Amino acid sequence: MTTTAPAPRTSTPSPSEKKPMVRRRLGRFLAPEFLPIAGTILTFVIMLGVGQARYGGERSFISMKLFSNLLQDNAYLLVLAIGMTFVILTGGIDLSVGAVVALVGLVIATLLPMGVPLPVVLVIGVLIGSTFGLLIGVLVQYFNIQPFIASLAAMFLARGLCNVVSVQSVAIKDEGFASLASWSVKFGEGRDIWKINLSMIVALAVLAFAFYVLHYTRFGRTVYGVGVGDDGNAIQLMGLKAGRTKLWVYVISGTCAGIAGILFAFYTKSGFNLTGIGMELDAIAAVVIGGTLLAGGGGYVLGTGVGVLVYGLIQVLIAREGLDSWWTKVFIGVVLLGFVILQRVIVTRRKR
Amino acid sequence: MSGPTVTLTADPTGPTGPSAPPSGSYRTAPVPVWSRVVHHQLFWPVVALVLLVIACGIKNPVFLDVEIRDGHLFGQLVDISRYAATPLLLALGMALVIATGGIDLSVGAVMAISLAVSLSYLDGNPGAGSVGTVAVAVALGILVALVAGVFNGFMVSVLGIQPFIATMILMVAGRGVAMLITKGQITTVTSPPFKYLGSGFVLGVPTPVVIALLALVGVAVLVRRTALGMLLESIGINREASRLAGVQSRNITWFVYILAGVLAGLAGIVYGAPTMAADANNIGLMKEMDAIMCVVLGGTALSGGKFYLSGTVVGALILSTIERAVIIFHIPSQITPLFKALVIILVCVAQSPKLREYLAPRRRRSVVAAAVAAPAPTKEEAR
Repeated sequence: MTTTAPAPRTSTPSPSEKKPMVRRRLGRFLAPEFLPIAGTILTFVIMLGVGQARYGGERSFISMKLFSNLLQDNAYLLVLAIGMTFVILTGGIDLSVGAVVALVGLVIATLLPMGVPLPVVLVIGVLIGSTFGLLIGVLVQYFNIQPFIASLAAMFLARGLCNVVSVQSVAIKDEGFASLASWSVKFGEGRDIWKINLSMIVALAVLAFAFYVLHYTRFGRTVYGVGVGDDGNAIQLMGLKAGRTKLWVYVISGTCAGIAGILFAFYTKSGFNLTGIGMELDAIAAVVIGGTLLAGGGGYVLGTGVGVLVYGLIQVLIAREGLDSWWTKVFIGVVLLGFVILQRVIVTRRKR
Repeated sequence: MSGPTVTLTADPTGPTGPSAPPSGSYRTAPVPVWSRVVHHQLFWPVVALVLLVIACGIKNPVFLDVEIRDGHLFGQLVDISRYAATPLLLALGMALVIATGGIDLSVGAVMAISLAVSLSYLDGNPGAGSVGTVAVAVALGILVALVAGVFNGFMVSVLGIQPFIATMILMVAGRGVAMLITKGQITTVTSPPFKYLGSGFVLGVPTPVVIALLALVGVAVLVRRTALGMLLESIGINREASRLAGVQSRNITWFVYILAGVLAGLAGIVYGAPTMAADANNIGLMKEMDAIMCVVLGGTALSGGKFYLSGTVVGALILSTIERAVIIFHIPSQITPLFKALVIILVCVAQSPKLREYLAPRRRRSVVAAAVAAPAPTKEEAR
């Protein structure tokens, strides 16, 4: 096939189908639009199996501790990828998120020693993200600038501002911040101890909220619609507000980047102007591995969650294998390749 | 450099709108000269470049001086063109890729791979100082870059994967591959002929500039003196339609990605030659973004179907002038991205149809407003 015809998009599974519950669930599993996620889940399971077989030993590789660590190490990435899912569903892209994460971290690190109360600083952090999102959204929606370029400009802007704030790594020593960052509930005992910390809770809450918004609200349906019909014109004719939705997805992505910036600061307890270079690509890769079509219009935010887990598990396996860290990049490339080809095969098969 | 047939379309968003044939002669009424100049796609980029140069010249009068020292050209402007060589090499390939409606994110990683291969070959080679060995090293580097281009082209044209994601795979994995080639070390070699590629002079002109100009002329002749450029644009406008019209869209798309890969390999060698150190982690980092910026600053829309080589040259000059201007104004060089962002936003907003509509004369505005308000896709509208 020589066509680059935009990949056929899937529609939101409508909750009002009048089939028996079980058959509906089963049908959904076998539906073509679910195949990429089935692939993601399968990959995740296979990777877990490989890990269990190689490092199982006396202590099981698959454990609550593994999942707890995965979530803890990748909470910021999950939040970023969730925001990115919204943007990609509309057929757009947001390249600014990595730079925004760095900026938010730096701003937190500079404002806290100045005596600004912690809650205010956190809100400012999130709002910085939203502002960048709004900027991109306005450029995209009202000036017809391609999302790629608009978010590229925002990326340069955020990086430049980072360098204005500080070019050195700034440690965050605030006590309130430290106690928030280290707050956790511990379970288990001995070496199997695992915990739930604030970052995980925030990330999962964002995931649940995104799931609700995408699948159970009018806004969510519009997001899918914008990605499907001719740059949103089809649903505009249906009376849905495509333009406003296009603006809002960037605000959502920016806000998520702001939240992710705070989570990343929790994780590293410092701000640094060079953090997050290439983080936007990690997020996009996680979204694609999670089965969302880059052309827009099809995908599930829960798939993105699994995509992030696959992404994190690759790093765990590479580290356990004792390979140098650059192998991670090669492996992620290979996994991406696999998923992209899988998506393509599905799309081609469905077209026949 | 870009074909006169295209550049003559003074104002593509004019009242005649999308239905007008893409030739310069569709207007019945004569267009005033100033209007043609203002609406020319090169107008805003050139204005930006001239303003930048003037600002630098006021701040530092020596800026505009070009002198001949030891038979070589010296001066800030010469330096700027030397720095513009790498982004220009990347942007030439990128412009063609973008014209087909694609994008190539892997060029930065390909730069790193090509340099890593060249220097690894030279590393420990007893003949590192001889021209022949260096030629082989360069050829090897470019050959690997060509393979990378073949991979990208295969993914895009044969498998039909979106260019953004297809080239992102190499962008992510390529740097890892470059690290594998250099075994995670920073490979450093000494080889005068190799260094010459990056910091030598040909007839007084810096070698990188000569290489970039040769590439520019080569690409310009290839796409503007043959039908290739037009075919590229037709693919960018509607791949399926051009295929049905007999354009070999698959082969041409493939070729464009290979060309972009080769130019990126060349850029990597030119960029890394002065230091002769292959730092796989940092060579070419974010260079794909710079290249895309050059292309877009030159008036080429990312949606494809149109490209301007002359604009791309101006874009590359703007980019390296910004980098130089930051130094002249004693601004910490880390803030450069801020200025890049401002220039991108300003030029893009200046080029956006919405602003043109707003600035258009009263009597025309209503017509254009109606055209814009109509639910026509932006892509068509911009044409």
